[in-house]
Amino acid sequence: MSARYNKSFNRLKESGQKAFIPFTLLGFPDRAQCLESVRVMIESGATALELGIAFSDPLADGPVIQQAATRVISSGFTVSDAFELLAEIRALDSDIPIGLLVYYNTVLSRGGEEFFRLAGTAGADGVLIVDLPPEAYLETATICRKFGLASIFIISPLTTEERFKAICNYASGFLYAVSRLGVTGTEDRHDEQLASLIVRARQCSNLPVCVGFGISSPAQAEKMFHAGADGVITGSRIIEILQDHNSRNCHGLATFLTEMIATAKFFPVASCCQ
Amino acid sequence: MISTGLFGKYGGVYAPETLMPALEELETAFLRLSQDAEFLTRYTGLLQTYAGRPTPVYHAANLSKIAGARIYLKREDLLHGGAHKTNNALGQGLLASMLGKRRLIAETGAGQHGVATAMAGALLGMETEIFMGELDMERQHSNVLRMQLMGAKVHAVKSGGRALKDAINAALREWISSVRDTHYLLGTAAGPHPFPTMVKFFQKIIGEEARFQIIEQTGSLPDYIVACVGGGSNAIGMFTAFLEDQSVELIGVEPAGKGLETLQHGATLIKGSLGCLHGMISKVLQTSDGQILDAHSISAGLDYPSVGPEHAYLQESGRASYEAITDEEAVEAYKQVARLEGIIPALESSHAVAHAMKLAAGKGSNSRILINLSGRGDKDLEQVLKYVG
Repeated sequence: MSARYNKSFNRLKESGQKAFIPFTLLGFPDRAQCLESVRVMIESGATALELGIAFSDPLADGPVIQQAATRVISSGFTVSDAFELLAEIRALDSDIPIGLLVYYNTVLSRGGEEFFRLAGTAGADGVLIVDLPPEAYLETATICRKFGLASIFIISPLTTEERFKAICNYASGFLYAVSRLGVTGTEDRHDEQLASLIVRARQCSNLPVCVGFGISSPAQAEKMFHAGADGVITGSRIIEILQDHNSRNCHGLATFLTEMIATAKFFPVASCCQ
Repeated sequence: MISTGLFGKYGGVYAPETLMPALEELETAFLRLSQDAEFLTRYTGLLQTYAGRPTPVYHAANLSKIAGARIYLKREDLLHGGAHKTNNALGQGLLASMLGKRRLIAETGAGQHGVATAMAGALLGMETEIFMGELDMERQHSNVLRMQLMGAKVHAVKSGGRALKDAINAALREWISSVRDTHYLLGTAAGPHPFPTMVKFFQKIIGEEARFQIIEQTGSLPDYIVACVGGGSNAIGMFTAFLEDQSVELIGVEPAGKGLETLQHGATLIKGSLGCLHGMISKVLQTSDGQILDAHSISAGLDYPSVGPEHAYLQESGRASYEAITDEEAVEAYKQVARLEGIIPALESSHAVAHAMKLAAGKGSNSRILINLSGRGDKDLEQVLKYVG
């Protein structure tokens, strides 16, 4: 239910805190360890979860998540397994908002209606379809609403005003802002771009703006908060930590999450306006 | 986007938001420049004086004697660079340079599109980087050397099946992080809109010339047109001028690899199902979970688990039909054309020849088959010798 997103973000807003949303792939590194790692995320105090369903050709992902996806698929972990695991995760916590991150072919191969029904039943609150732009979203929007799922969209510094309007027309839950596009520009310029992106997002939407892609340390998270972000999403760094661990020991993950969540929780509200 | 880029239910734009502004910019530029006199004059000039257009249509008399029907070859193998890919690389390269981009990136399978892009980069003074599957770099080594000689940097793609699909993934990812100053020069009539429409625009000259030439030589239209289909750029380039000629049967030939009954083929239109890959809705080879399968073909240029959306549409509408030829049959045709005509066809084009020879059997000499000989086969010699053993 997208209501969980609203509730969580409202609570943070009232207490002046920022959101931290960890990402992992369902079934990575295997089913049991994935469930364990998500339990650690929840217990560490994550605001929401972003869970990916592995796809063979993940266009928007870098090498770390690509390799993780390949590993999940070759282990025989299916989309049905992903929904089952999602239901187990939902059983761990009935309040935390859970977003699914998927590629369109995964949806298409089941049929939209069936995919979103399964997602809703398993306990998802929102879906981000990486390669389904607003131009082609109409039908999906109707189905998502029917199953109470938020439609989460990516916005980037290159997103034009017109595209912003089309995106905000469908978006719910939160806006997923991409902080960096590429190699050009200094760090400072990159922050300026992000700040202006967030300003533009605020002009067309009341939704919280969370920043993802390349956020792998508390220092980077803090930069995003300074630029005005309501939260950060961390994916690749978490996958790296999980793949380094051969044992079921999630200690490294817990340490990292605790630091990130502390940064989000205790970020001084006043300093964002300096 | 200004238009949807749909061919029936196929095509469209299914790309991450990070790419959408670049695709919009490209669509706008393409719509403007494809009607711009200065652009078209420069493009046509390059095609004629640099690339060697028009390419001839040749009546292959020796092949015809064996085949039964009269066989004609559209000689795209004679185009500068050795394949039809040059038509598209020059067009998009010129467009990118007029857009103010300083760098070209491209995927390549057989290496022909990489070579064509390297040529365009050298000619237009643009930095060029090519993404090529590691497997394809082995089997098309001479093309890697040609690209490097012309100043292109070649990146080995090691993910997935290390072939064309993975090279497209790598090139798209690189484009996502460099859209401001870089043009992705996609080599086939596939991918997100506007690529299928734009690549067709630059390749349709093949059919326009061939239609005129064959009427001039024989007094009428051919009965059949045969072209190989991987992504489908040479086939769509050939078919487009004949779409309204209902008497002309259009046949695309997919790679059957080790056989359609195996999983080792690239016959997407024949064996695939509806899916979304590389920014488009088309037919794809996939599992029931929607995971994309690796294709297989002896020909690196046809080794692709999807296909240009317009071919999926032409198949569905019945205007074109699609057949498949195995590795073995393609190699046989490769040798046959070399021996009988003194022409070494690309392994890709050999698929078209092999099917045309089957089709011709028992047709009689009044029947005329026009084959798009999309490229030359020097690049494939080592591969063929290894295959024959």
